[in-house]
Amino acid sequence: MIPQAVLDQWYPVAMTSLVGPWPGRETQLLGRPIMVFKTQSGAVSVQTAQGQAVAVTLAYGHVWACLGTPAQDLFALPEAAQPGRRLVDCGVVRVKCSPLRAVENFLDIAHFPFVHTDVLGAEPHTEVGRYEVQIRDDVDEVWATKVHFYQPQAAKSAAGGIVTEYMYRVAAPTAAVLYKTCPNRTNEWDVIGIFVQPLAEDLCDVYPYMALFDDVTPQADLIHFQQMIFLQDRSILENQIPRLLPLDPGMEIPTQADLTSVAYRRWLKRKGLTYGAQVVAA
Amino acid sequence: MTNWKASGLSKDLPPANVMHADWQGVDLAVWRSASGRLSAWVDRCPHRGMRLSHGFVRGETLACIYHGWTYGVTGACTHIPAHPDMTPPATITATRFEVTERGGVIWIAAKDDPTAPPDIAGFQPLRSLTVQVGEQALLQALAADAPGLTEAEGGLRGTVQIAGLDTQICLMLQPKAQETTLHILCGAGAGPAQVSRWAESLRRQIEDRSAP
Repeated sequence: MIPQAVLDQWYPVAMTSLVGPWPGRETQLLGRPIMVFKTQSGAVSVQTAQGQAVAVTLAYGHVWACLGTPAQDLFALPEAAQPGRRLVDCGVVRVKCSPLRAVENFLDIAHFPFVHTDVLGAEPHTEVGRYEVQIRDDVDEVWATKVHFYQPQAAKSAAGGIVTEYMYRVAAPTAAVLYKTCPNRTNEWDVIGIFVQPLAEDLCDVYPYMALFDDVTPQADLIHFQQMIFLQDRSILENQIPRLLPLDPGMEIPTQADLTSVAYRRWLKRKGLTYGAQVVAA
Repeated sequence: MTNWKASGLSKDLPPANVMHADWQGVDLAVWRSASGRLSAWVDRCPHRGMRLSHGFVRGETLACIYHGWTYGVTGACTHIPAHPDMTPPATITATRFEVTERGGVIWIAAKDDPTAPPDIAGFQPLRSLTVQVGEQALLQALAADAPGLTEAEGGLRGTVQIAGLDTQICLMLQPKAQETTLHILCGAGAGPAQVSRWAESLRRQIEDRSAP
């Protein structure tokens, strides 16, 4: 049985630009087969295998669906509409892991020197300083702020090593967004997200997403950069044991650098969002 | 009777390397330090569950590839790169198994096992070969295809005709669900290349027969 709280959330199910006519994208959500297609009038529709239409929202280049009754509107991402930003769809990567582990990895900084070596991090610059984490009850989101990390090549447009500042945001159970120092504009943040489609508890499609101030770098290079980063992450995500994310303390050992992950797990557990989670220690 | 399981050949795990091994269904990371010390641990970093067999050896330590958490040969975590000035709590340790080498074979047993690994003196380690059939099916096939081999501690031993020569063969078995790895050792008789070809054709024969 899938908890109602899980069914009532929004999940990404397709890139809007790639949705075709019936039967469109035949995929699944929370283990249930669905079709994402364009109707004759041009609207995007999502149907279950029984032909039942479910709630749909189009936003941030993606189609979002809810199998139950949406508990709230889809999260706001005002930067997506900000003039001057380039929106970059980076395709989709299938990963054999819990959708929650994919989000948690996105929130993690400490792995940069070891998994994204010489790009997002490099030894000996491994220290993760204190940062602030909150579960913001007004928007029902997890936020981490004042995160700083030394990066050899923080973005495709970065020329050399810089200390990058980050903010992290869990905007939905399987969607996270980060705001990081923009190499081209000192008063703005680059926005990078991952939208994770839970196909099953241990299988997901991950859509990286970017909204950048970068008028120079060719689109293909931006996509290659993001795909390189995410494929490095995939080699981790498919080799974590257990496949499901443990929500109970004891199974895994966090440190101060993992405060975002601790808050994310606590938030999931409190909300009963246990799809893809291991609740009782094995 | 021995509880030790052949888990690889010594020569296939050079210093400063780590590999994965399946021990009775338990995933293990087996690694050799720069100075040659061998360790076998549960293949899971206690931090975030990443397989330690994907990690890297530096000197006398194994580090997890995910966040670089570093463990000494006792299994204790000695360094957490995200907090370089902190001494890791003693409670953070890898889970250890017994591991030793005898006759050029890496042997693994549960902690404090009282038995000894098999004596395979007189045989030279040749190579390992994985056959896509379970252990029982493999033993049945070998009884038919290599009747000169009889069951001995840890696997099979006996005389096989290879390239017209009576050849002393020792096969140590490492079963895993639907496949079995053979650690092949040979004594007097045919040369290594001939024994290797014999083993490969035996594998094909057994796999072809068990193919659906």
